[in-house]
Amino acid sequence: MKNESSTKIRLGVFITLGITLLIIGIYFIGERQQLFRSTFRISGVFKNVGGLQMGNNVRLSGVNVGTIDNITIISDTTVSVEISIDEDARKFIKKDAIASIGSEGLMGNKALVINPGTGGKKRIENGDVIKTNQPIDIDSILVKLKSTIENTSQITGDLASITKNIEEGNGTIGKLVMDKTWQETFETTFINLKRGSTDFRLLMAKANDIDDVIISAKETIKNASRITSDLASITSNIESGKGTFGRLLMDPSTALNIDSTFINLKEGSEELKEFMKKAKNSWLLWGF
Amino acid sequence: MEKTITQKPDSKKQNLKIDSENDDESISKSLLKKFFIEVSSLTIFTLRFFREVLKPPYEFNELVKQSFLIGYKSLPLVAITGFIIGLVLTIQSRPTLAKFGAESWLPAMVAVSIIREIGPVITALIFAGKVGSGIGAELASMNVTEQIDAMQVSHTNPFKYLVVTRVISATVMLPLLVIFADAVGLFGSFIGVNLKGNVSAYLFFSQVFQSLEFKDLFPAIIKTFFFGFAIGLIGSYKGYNSNKGTEGVGKAANTAVVFGSLMIFIIDMIAVQITSLFQS
Repeated sequence: MKNESSTKIRLGVFITLGITLLIIGIYFIGERQQLFRSTFRISGVFKNVGGLQMGNNVRLSGVNVGTIDNITIISDTTVSVEISIDEDARKFIKKDAIASIGSEGLMGNKALVINPGTGGKKRIENGDVIKTNQPIDIDSILVKLKSTIENTSQITGDLASITKNIEEGNGTIGKLVMDKTWQETFETTFINLKRGSTDFRLLMAKANDIDDVIISAKETIKNASRITSDLASITSNIESGKGTFGRLLMDPSTALNIDSTFINLKEGSEELKEFMKKAKNSWLLWGF
Repeated sequence: MEKTITQKPDSKKQNLKIDSENDDESISKSLLKKFFIEVSSLTIFTLRFFREVLKPPYEFNELVKQSFLIGYKSLPLVAITGFIIGLVLTIQSRPTLAKFGAESWLPAMVAVSIIREIGPVITALIFAGKVGSGIGAELASMNVTEQIDAMQVSHTNPFKYLVVTRVISATVMLPLLVIFADAVGLFGSFIGVNLKGNVSAYLFFSQVFQSLEFKDLFPAIIKTFFFGFAIGLIGSYKGYNSNKGTEGVGKAANTAVVFGSLMIFIIDMIAVQITSLFQS
């Protein structure tokens, strides 16, 4: 009897332990799928889910916060993805959050990545439809990559011919690199430039004196402006016939007077010439 | 005269040939016959089990005793096997994963292998070796010593008392043993990972449970019920229907193990087809 009860006890312990282990296993696996946590559901619409599957993880800032519940094709260009997210993560996901499809590793599963959205907005609600970013299509990347590779090969080909030319000493850079005379010319040019820059520095040091020059120049300009204004008033006077010069230029009577004066002068000079001729012949002045 | 002399050996040869052909045919025919007889009698035996299992009275005490012997007593063997399998699988997988620079995937990979396939199948094979042969030999020797007949005379249903209890025990105990084997196997894998690295127990088990899903655990556990049932049933069948004589005991134990192990693989194949059908 005693033996029988100990058998039963040991069997009981064995069964209990086994079932406990099973329950622990179920709990930990279920924990991952958020079966025993309060969750909320949102959905998102994609054109292409890029291999996302039911049960894939949902990541917020790199932390697993939920799983993909269901994926249904609505039409040929729309796929609806239902997402179950841990209630604790709700406070971080705003109304303008964006969901995109990423992957867990280089070879790993796909995952839905949620960008939490801007701080000021309201929290996301149960049943909301989240905005989505279309996944990067590997095929289109490959197409672009192909053209990039073609361009690169062309560029490298060009570079090869350029370097060949340089090596052969063709062109300016080639001469610069390979031709000794060019190198020497450049060297002297650089030496000259260096010297020139030293001179320039010295000049700049002297340029402090320029202030005085500028001040005197200012004075000169001021004087010049005064002179020009005086000249302006003089010319206006001349124009209006004021003063001797004005009258000389502008008054017709003065002009007549001058004319008659010159005529008188001419006549006077001719008379004087006559007189002188006569005087020459006069005895009084004979001997001169 | 000459002709008859020359013809005689020929005809003898022909006769011999025909005889041997007849022998081959008869052997293959008898084998085929045996196979079909075996199938039908096993089916009848199975149906009889289902009929008897529901009918009272229930042999609870015998069930507990058999569960103790079949389940509890197999635990050390199963635990050691599980531990070694976990350890070895981890050590063997490491170089391959290291080639891809994916050593961090070791716990996940080993966990999925152990839980899905290796835990259940290895445990079931060990179980078939220990329990299937045990049941076969025990029932066969009871049959040889006419204890079964004696039970029938004393108004005890030998089928109920001997077969039903053993089959139920095997069916229920194997899944429990597999759970233990899985747990110990994962522990062995943890040790294996730490032989050439340093992974904390928390990280290891968190990676293990990260990689597992219910679709890994439940089909694996469910199929072990079928493994247990097959092992118990075949062991009982072979023992119960053994030939009289000591030779029959050894044969019953032997065929119980061989046939039981074969059945494990057949059930495993069917199970994987069914699970993949539901998963896709």
